[in-house]
Amino acid sequence: MGTKLDLDDIQGLIARGYRSLPYARFTIFAAHDAAAGHALLSWLLPRVTPAGRSAGDSALHLAYTAAGLRRLGLPESVIAGFSAQFMRGMTGPNRSRFLGDVGESDPHYWAWGGPQEPPVEGLILLYANSPEVLDARQAELATRLDGLAIRQVTVLDTLELGNNEPFGFRDGISQPIIQGLPKASGAPPAGTPGGRVVPAGEFVLGYPNAYGQLTSRPLLPAADDPRRLLPRDPAGSGAADLGRNGCYLVLRQLEQDVDAFWSYVRQATAQRDGSADTGRAIALAAKMVGRWPSGAPLVKAPDRDNPQLGGDNDFGYYRTDPLGLACPLGAHVRRMNPRDSLDPRPGTEASLAVNDGHRLLRRGRSYGPGDGTPAAAGRAGRDSHAERLVRADVAPPRATGLHFICLVASLIRQFEFVQHTWLNNPTFHGLYDDTDPLIGNRLGCGATFTEPARPVRRRYRGLPQFVRTRGGAYFFLPGISALRYLDQLSAGARSGSFPLIRDEVTT
Amino acid sequence: MPHQIGVTIRAPVAAERVAELRQWLAEAGKKGLGEAPFGFAGCRGLHFARFYLLEETADLTGRPIPASLVFMSEVDAPLRRHLADLADVAKEGIDQAFQHCTGYPGPGGRRRQRIAWLRRHRVRASAFYVNTVGRGVAQIRQEAALREALESHLDRHDHTGRTATEVRRELQAFVAGHADLAWAAKPPARPSLFFRAREALHMVAVPALLLLALPVLLPVILVWAVLLRLDERHDRPFTQRPGLAHLEEVADYEDFSTQNPFAVAGLLRPGRLRQLTFRAVLFLTDYGVRHIFNHDSLAGVKTIHFARWVPLDGWRRMTFSSNYDGAVEAYNDDFINIIWWGLNATFSNGMDYPPTRWLFFGGAKLEEQFKNTIRCHQVAVPAWYAAYPELSADNIENNAQIRAGLRGEMSPAQAQQWLARL
Repeated sequence: MGTKLDLDDIQGLIARGYRSLPYARFTIFAAHDAAAGHALLSWLLPRVTPAGRSAGDSALHLAYTAAGLRRLGLPESVIAGFSAQFMRGMTGPNRSRFLGDVGESDPHYWAWGGPQEPPVEGLILLYANSPEVLDARQAELATRLDGLAIRQVTVLDTLELGNNEPFGFRDGISQPIIQGLPKASGAPPAGTPGGRVVPAGEFVLGYPNAYGQLTSRPLLPAADDPRRLLPRDPAGSGAADLGRNGCYLVLRQLEQDVDAFWSYVRQATAQRDGSADTGRAIALAAKMVGRWPSGAPLVKAPDRDNPQLGGDNDFGYYRTDPLGLACPLGAHVRRMNPRDSLDPRPGTEASLAVNDGHRLLRRGRSYGPGDGTPAAAGRAGRDSHAERLVRADVAPPRATGLHFICLVASLIRQFEFVQHTWLNNPTFHGLYDDTDPLIGNRLGCGATFTEPARPVRRRYRGLPQFVRTRGGAYFFLPGISALRYLDQLSAGARSGSFPLIRDEVTT
Repeated sequence: MPHQIGVTIRAPVAAERVAELRQWLAEAGKKGLGEAPFGFAGCRGLHFARFYLLEETADLTGRPIPASLVFMSEVDAPLRRHLADLADVAKEGIDQAFQHCTGYPGPGGRRRQRIAWLRRHRVRASAFYVNTVGRGVAQIRQEAALREALESHLDRHDHTGRTATEVRRELQAFVAGHADLAWAAKPPARPSLFFRAREALHMVAVPALLLLALPVLLPVILVWAVLLRLDERHDRPFTQRPGLAHLEEVADYEDFSTQNPFAVAGLLRPGRLRQLTFRAVLFLTDYGVRHIFNHDSLAGVKTIHFARWVPLDGWRRMTFSSNYDGAVEAYNDDFINIIWWGLNATFSNGMDYPPTRWLFFGGAKLEEQFKNTIRCHQVAVPAWYAAYPELSADNIENNAQIRAGLRGEMSPAQAQQWLARL
């Protein structure tokens, strides 16, 4: 297909997950006034890594919330071009109910981003190839922020990027392949059921999406961009396109209760004398995840782990496992990405095409203490980290989890839909009372996990909640020229010639 | 089992009472309609009920249309019994709601007067979709309880090493051994003979008459198609986006359980061509939902419990409302991906719809325009009652199949397939 992505204008995070830069730190900030916000942007702009340039020893990315864009003087009429979800944010009561951020995940208890916490305006994501480089870049950034008296709302540290997430399972295997990126050229035109080539417009604004259309984004009259900093609307309206080459970025701090998870599967599979049955415990955990700790998919390795299939992503569900006998219908990965099991006509291209409209480009990183975590534990020993966790050989880490990040063109059709209609939906795929067994909310309902089997399914009732939301916000990750445009607003604001700064109160 | 009917009652609200009514609806909805003052949980055969306010507006000529209160219920026949329940069981709530409307007899009015008033304010739906015709509230609840009982039984016993046929026999014996489940051994009763005869006659008579009229209809359809295509060339993209406050107001009443209420209202396009088209499409929709899509799915969409298309104000306006599973975003996606053609054929006769081609094409396929149209015209449903809010339509059908599988002979493979429903 002929999608040509403007890689020099797209931030590199869209094109890469930075496996070569395994150290990362995310700084969430709020400027105390417009001038400071502008000064920070001017300083950061040359440091932002475009997709077209190789990252070297580090990479930096910059994203703003609606409040952050307001702070930079973007007029309300332009902000109104963003999606309703972005403008409203993640924490209103209706959004919380929709996203399952209730009970212990209620934003009122969040560590950051909640209604009682300081407002979030922007996010700086730093990636580096060594802890030293990361520390140096972070120190430089912190000095700059301090110098500008910009508040660091929180700094989210991450663990060295390994293969496994804190529960002990290999993570990040199934990612959509973006049309127009080099990876897509080697794949079959539509990809495979697992490795689908998805239109770029699902993840980058200003390109055709899964419906062959351009997702709405803020467009400005050309007169508001006299220096032609912004690309023009590809639909040909002549408008300056502030959204093109950008996307929405969802950041959520998801705390994982590793102890509760392994304690639960250990107890649920204990032998009559009460002793743990490691094999059965791991098998149950794998049923809940839909993959074995090595990453091997259950549809291909139904009975035991097969590390050789660890990165396997070439499978569908409908033809091989329509009833979920290998991979339960409600398993985590089957919900996150149901592949070919959706109406209309499961097992066909039509089903996969529907699925394409709900993909997330995941860029999350784990966090927690350095010891007892997969990255540390994975380096030594013969047993898998999951085996050690289930035997309680290692103390489960406290305060660990995932700084979940996903990049999407539509917050509602992609992130929010997946969260509500697939993960937290107790009636997903014909079930009755099952939310996602791994990360689902259990308030009021959804505390069942059904494991299809012959002759009769096994039901696990009273599943505890293993994951809690501890913070979150919706950001916009602009294209480089959009950042330049915002920077120029700041120049105008400083000289007083650009009448675009409005009081925040107008919202 | 009875068939299901959709009751729509609509009455104008005096301008000075609209604000008060709006507030009352929000409070009534928050308290829930199941218990007093409505007591809908005690109304016989009631599946769903709702109240919503259609705000004052003007038609395309500028003629004002006063605000009105809409009550809708989906209920097992007969209508007489339902109206009696509204006047007796739900009296207090119904009085409180409709006393905001002009001319309501009020709490002091005699029972007969109140029922007559409700009857007079009934509005006929042009088409009424029932997920599965004939499946009453009692059956849905019974079959849900049956499934619970069977699931609990399975939980209590270890079936390792047994065949599916053996387990099925055990479940049959379990049901046979419980007097309170004795009903499950028999198939559910069908709707009345009169209803079935009437529907059968309609099913045959409509195509027969259309066939007879074909020589006349065919040239008319050809001319109509050309005129319609010419008319469509004036279509303009829908560029409006729903306001944040409006979205928030709608969202205030959404996503509390598996099911959601949905309602849109809008003006119809002017001119005889569109009037004729709309009426013809609704006539065919009525036929389709009565005779083709009357079990488990509306042309492939399996998440809708009930839906109705109701022309208002002398066919100047229409409202569409439904009870469905999941969120409005997923619902819209189903519209776009599965029944885009049906949506286009009906809703493109309304204002603000994305451009269509030959009535069926385009339209809903313009994803964002379509979703914006729907969201802009969505009406908040502040007061809503659902008799079984946690059951998806899929669950209800599965429960019915579980019951059906208790009867008759099955091969081992069939028995295994049946057990997978549990």
